[in-house]
Amino acid sequence: MEPKIKTGWCPGCGNFAIRDVLEKVFRELPVPRNKIVLTSGIGQAAKMPHYLDVNFFNGLHGRSLPPAVGIKLARPDLTVIAYSGDGCMYGEGGNHFIHTLRRRLDITILVSENRVYALTKGQSSPTTGLAVKNDLTPGGNPNRPLNPLALAVLMGAPFAARGFAGDKEHLAALIREAILFTGTAVVDILQPCVSFNKINTYAWYRERVFKLEKPPSDRYEAIRTAEIWGEKIPIGVIWRDDASPLREIKNIFETPLTREDVASRLNMRCVMMR
Amino acid sequence: MEFNVLIGGEGGQGAFSVEMELTEALTRLNYHFFATKHYMSRIRGGHNFHMIRVADHPVHALNGGKWEMVVALDDETEPLHKPDLREGGLFLSRAMTKEIADEGKKRFGEIRSANTALVGCVLAVIGVAPEKIAETAESGKKEGYLKMGYDFAARWNIAGAFPVSAAAGCPVRFDGNQALAFGALLGGCRFVAGYPMTPATSILHYFSEAARELPVHFEQAEDEIAAINMALGASYAGVRSMAATSGGGFALMQEGVSLAGMTETPIVVAVAQRPGPATGLPTRTEQGDLNFILHAGHGEFPRVLFAPGSILETIELARRAFDLADRFQIPVFLLTDQYFADSVQVVEEEDIPLEPGARECPALDAAYKRYRLTEDGISPLTFPGLSDARVKLDSDEHDEEGKITEDPDLRKRMVDKRLGKIERLKTEAVMPTFSGALASAAVILCWGSNRLIAEEAGGRLTAEGIAVSVLHFGQVYPLTAAMVAPYRLEGKKRICVENNATGQFAGLLKRELGLAVDHSVLKYDGDCFTVEELYQTLRSLLA
Repeated sequence: MEPKIKTGWCPGCGNFAIRDVLEKVFRELPVPRNKIVLTSGIGQAAKMPHYLDVNFFNGLHGRSLPPAVGIKLARPDLTVIAYSGDGCMYGEGGNHFIHTLRRRLDITILVSENRVYALTKGQSSPTTGLAVKNDLTPGGNPNRPLNPLALAVLMGAPFAARGFAGDKEHLAALIREAILFTGTAVVDILQPCVSFNKINTYAWYRERVFKLEKPPSDRYEAIRTAEIWGEKIPIGVIWRDDASPLREIKNIFETPLTREDVASRLNMRCVMMR
Repeated sequence: MEFNVLIGGEGGQGAFSVEMELTEALTRLNYHFFATKHYMSRIRGGHNFHMIRVADHPVHALNGGKWEMVVALDDETEPLHKPDLREGGLFLSRAMTKEIADEGKKRFGEIRSANTALVGCVLAVIGVAPEKIAETAESGKKEGYLKMGYDFAARWNIAGAFPVSAAAGCPVRFDGNQALAFGALLGGCRFVAGYPMTPATSILHYFSEAARELPVHFEQAEDEIAAINMALGASYAGVRSMAATSGGGFALMQEGVSLAGMTETPIVVAVAQRPGPATGLPTRTEQGDLNFILHAGHGEFPRVLFAPGSILETIELARRAFDLADRFQIPVFLLTDQYFADSVQVVEEEDIPLEPGARECPALDAAYKRYRLTEDGISPLTFPGLSDARVKLDSDEHDEEGKITEDPDLRKRMVDKRLGKIERLKTEAVMPTFSGALASAAVILCWGSNRLIAEEAGGRLTAEGIAVSVLHFGQVYPLTAAMVAPYRLEGKKRICVENNATGQFAGLLKRELGLAVDHSVLKYDGDCFTVEELYQTLRSLLA
């Protein structure tokens, strides 16, 4: 049993379950605790690193991924995990989400998906359903929701999965698999917001989620699976491609820069006008 | 003795290649020279021109007088630049350059041989012997092209028309962005992220080239917001990092600057200025972003701004920027501009420092607190994964450990900790460069790329009996009383020279030091000052 910690979350928040899962996964991971770095943005979910015993970079809203990229490129020896909410990851940070998937880095992206802006008290998020009423969209959300996992698979993410905060054991296995997967792994975690989302509740999800036995072997089938949402919602690994090549990163941290290295840059050809 | 040549042509026609090959040859031949260019924001077409000043003494600015030679690759060069040809100057008409091109095509089957031939022709004009010209060739093929150029000069009777002797010792060639990238490398910079934007892109280019061979990394980001956040991530992880951009891109980076301020993450940001607002004049020059960069980022936090005025100063200040950023855990800015970025100059090899700086990576223990409150406000800095220390960085106000806090007392202590660095930074301020006589009746105050233009213009006036000194600020912020105390500025007529419309640096001198200027000489049409232009302006003010 973990000692009780003080958090900034509401009682009953799905983030508690995810915190417990992360604590367990980190404890059991074959990675020394001091080699784990969690990056996060801003929002209720993004407070997560504060409640775990890890290195962390709790940056700005929408910006959990660029620091993760910088950290991984500078220190490939570190296990880099970005954790933030749907507003942070898919809204403010949407551009980074798309482009981080292109970078072929061994980074895990965990998204606490509650389909609402919670910290700012109940506005529609990029994943809020069409016509859902929220603060600032009192007449109903005019926008269609973004489908993060279909987007991830389409953008070439080699690992995409959906978890549910209401099933800790299943979620722990997913997150562990994602972290140990060599490549960019996305786990979208259904996380009921007990304060501002009266639709996507624990009970609502429990009636709908079903576990995928194994991921589809075809990428387009995976996208179709990612699009299943409504009466039935699949959870589990939606896409896994072990053959996707990872980018090679040189160890700049441990290789010293020498006087000869510097001198080699003298009298380089000018390019300019750029 | 000096020789000023202008080569004008359409974008994509080869004028840039002529400049590049000529400056490479001049470097190999140990010439002093200065080269810059005026180009349009397009890929092909338009009218660009390249200006090269070759001399038997060090030159670091455009003369701005008449041209000894004008070379026309397009039709616009003649009406635009031939009127500025000096008496007895050489004009290589469009017809003549076409003749070279036709001959090259006929003889070598290679249209680009004309660019190299023009280099041979210009070298002939300044009196370089054919065998010396041949020595500059990288290949036998190029040797043939150069020879053809020399033969044209001989045939047109212009070989040796404006002889200049090669007086440099062992020159090394840099453009401004190369100097900045080199200085960053020297400062131990291992990670650069950026998004292409003129005139900063070549900084990224030099780093991406360096990254092919050296233990450094360049990452092309999806936008400038990502670029600075990547650089901050890399810095947090343990390597000295930089983001480079121009004003518009920097506008997007501001939140990252503020993040560096709050999280006390060392970072260097290079901003090559161009005229704004908005897209402005993408390929022209201005010093219009001083106030912007001084105030960029929400909230209050310390920073340092450098604006070097020469190649060596750029190298030195870029190196120093990384050292300061690390020691004070602050953002440090390097301001240049398009003029400086795109100008090529030589410095003596023996003056170039080569010993790279490096970051210290102490291994601490589990009791480590990233934001430990210390007497001098500087908390020990270490990096993840090196020890049992957990490195916790937070953009919220935080406690010593790095965890979110809203405690008013702690908030105040953290603000004081961060801002307290400013006084210590002042004690380490880089002193301005003074040239001229202490007893001069007038002083030019300037910053950034105007230094060498001002020094030459001031020197000319002084030689004429109008004693003018120059005080150039390589560090533009913070400013301290000690920076100006030795120069008896109160008794002098103070003239501030800047490439902007509102006299931003003059305003800063007033605000920070209570120092009022008597005149502001401002230029904001997108072009740099030339020595002649500044000399005339100052002369009318002082004579």
